[in-house]
Amino acid sequence: MFNQYVKHSRTTILFFMMLGAFIIMSLFLPGKFLTLSNFQSIASQIPEFGLLAIAIMLAMLTGGIDLSIISTANLAGVGAALILTKYSLPQLGAYEESYIIFLAIVSAIGISLLCGLINGLLIAYIKVPAILATLGTMSIFSGIAIVITKGYGIQGFSEKFLYIGSGTILAIPMPMIIFIVFILLMSLILNRTSYGFNLYMLGSNPVASRFSGINNRGILVRTYILSGLCSGLASIIMISRVNSIRPGYGSAYLLQAILVCVLGGVDPSGGYGNISGLVMGIIVLQILQSGFNILSFSPFFKNVVWGLMLILVMILNFYSSRYTQKIRKKLKVD
Amino acid sequence: MTGTIYKSQIQKVFNQNEAYLSLIIVAYSILVTSLNPSFLSFENLLDLGKSSASMGIMAIGVFVVLLSGGIDMSFTAIAISGQYIAANVLIASGVDNIYFAFLISCLVGLSLGAVNGLIISYFKIPTFIATLGTLNVFHGILLTVVGTKAVNSAQLPDCFKKFGATNVFTVIKPEGGSYGLSIFTVIFIAVALLTWFILTYTQLGRGIYAIGGDMEAANRAGLNVFSIQFFIYCYVGILAGIAGVLHVSLIRYSNPTYLVGTELSVIAPVVLGGTRITGGSGTVIGTILGVAMITLLNKSLILIGLSSFWQEFFTGVIVAISVSLSSYQIRKNMMI
Repeated sequence: MFNQYVKHSRTTILFFMMLGAFIIMSLFLPGKFLTLSNFQSIASQIPEFGLLAIAIMLAMLTGGIDLSIISTANLAGVGAALILTKYSLPQLGAYEESYIIFLAIVSAIGISLLCGLINGLLIAYIKVPAILATLGTMSIFSGIAIVITKGYGIQGFSEKFLYIGSGTILAIPMPMIIFIVFILLMSLILNRTSYGFNLYMLGSNPVASRFSGINNRGILVRTYILSGLCSGLASIIMISRVNSIRPGYGSAYLLQAILVCVLGGVDPSGGYGNISGLVMGIIVLQILQSGFNILSFSPFFKNVVWGLMLILVMILNFYSSRYTQKIRKKLKVD
Repeated sequence: MTGTIYKSQIQKVFNQNEAYLSLIIVAYSILVTSLNPSFLSFENLLDLGKSSASMGIMAIGVFVVLLSGGIDMSFTAIAISGQYIAANVLIASGVDNIYFAFLISCLVGLSLGAVNGLIISYFKIPTFIATLGTLNVFHGILLTVVGTKAVNSAQLPDCFKKFGATNVFTVIKPEGGSYGLSIFTVIFIAVALLTWFILTYTQLGRGIYAIGGDMEAANRAGLNVFSIQFFIYCYVGILAGIAGVLHVSLIRYSNPTYLVGTELSVIAPVVLGGTRITGGSGTVIGTILGVAMITLLNKSLILIGLSSFWQEFFTGVIVAISVSLSSYQIRKNMMI
């Protein structure tokens, strides 16, 4: 009952933060913030970034972290881009072109699943701390991407492929549709399957979950594979939106993705956090981001704001957890 | 009976990461030298000692943090802040004195480290998240407030260049030219000795091992966890400040976008040296050997015929293998 109250108050606070950010931006940037094109640009940026945030959230739910998301996305993107550029000839028919695009998408997802599997095996079976394991694989994956591309970018994909990143259906950007389908699927997995239940259990107390007969290792490996899958999907959307890939692309997303998770109520020590909170966190961040873009803040200054926000949210969490502990003690005494 | 004791003593020596690492370093040096005979000259070794000093000092700082069970991502931002601010203050004030540069850089390092220490020890924020935040805050503030323009070699005060060329002893080569033991290496050794002394012979140092082993136990045993953690991050800040000045003196150029992003190449030697991220275990010697190994590898990649594109890949492989090995050892010991 009490926990329920805490959970709901958290979601309510987030909702009001979202509303507050929206109102402040509309009031202070009249005629610039509330435009269709601005909302379309927000909507086209949310998915790739949101998918990466889900990837981090999954790892955080187990009490770990996945720092290799960006390099997984880069490597998967390089793999897809190589197939797209190598086999796309002007004389190809529509059927062959679709086949190559399908092949590129499958290989990007395959690479990202493999990256996730490597992380999962290191963390679950060799018991390497998640930070160090993924810090190492981050360097390995982006190192492979650099060696393959020799540091150059790959660009120029076929029109059909670009539709994934920049097409629209009923004025809704295509990436947004993919993202909405994916988060519905994810919340279903997290809330309605035994895997999801076990994941939360493992995150809040690994020893207890092991003694209640849960296969901790299996859950961990599956979680990091799923986290890799999110990065792979993000990479497909990313490369088709900007029509190019370069190793190191999107490295700024790591800080923002961690910030969004913490903002959305995901506990970095594991066990707490849900998709709805995360999505609200993403929306708050994107509203601020678009406001900063309109005000033309430099990327360095944006980083200052994101860094400060990250620390402030963590400090607020510290006080709120202290406060709830106090109330809990009082309730016990009464 | 005697046989088992003898065996356990051998195991004691060879279970140590340092022994393995020394063997690998020697074997690798022989391999590289056989491919390129000029590699293992005395001159080249002294040069390696000079160019690795800045990274080595930062690695010692990271080592202390890992020992306490934390991780620091912000030390590169601290080092570049100290370096860039010191260079700019020296230019603006017209004072051409290397001690003044060290003073400013270390003060900057100390204050930024204190911010880290306060956030981590008071608010109990996970160290990775806290320092990832401050990394971006420090670097962002440096670039927005202080500036983004690089200080080039002509603008750089002479004391940096003079300091960079200072040798403790110099050998004149018969065919002309000279080489020697750089003061950088001496500073690195001094920092390593100081850290070793603090960790081994002071209560503070034993406290660092203790909170790395089990923070709750250390707290209940009456150790002041708050002040120990605060000290650790201040110490890392000061070391980063020193490393910043060495870095600018070596490359004679101060670009505020340098160093940041190379965190892993400093963390790599520390985990390679056998320090466990879960805390409580690791030695200064191991870290120094790790620095030697990584420097050797970075400098020899081109000599053994691989392009510098491979550098990041190899750093990652080294980190992955060394953390896997040490995690595997922990598990094996626990099973026994």
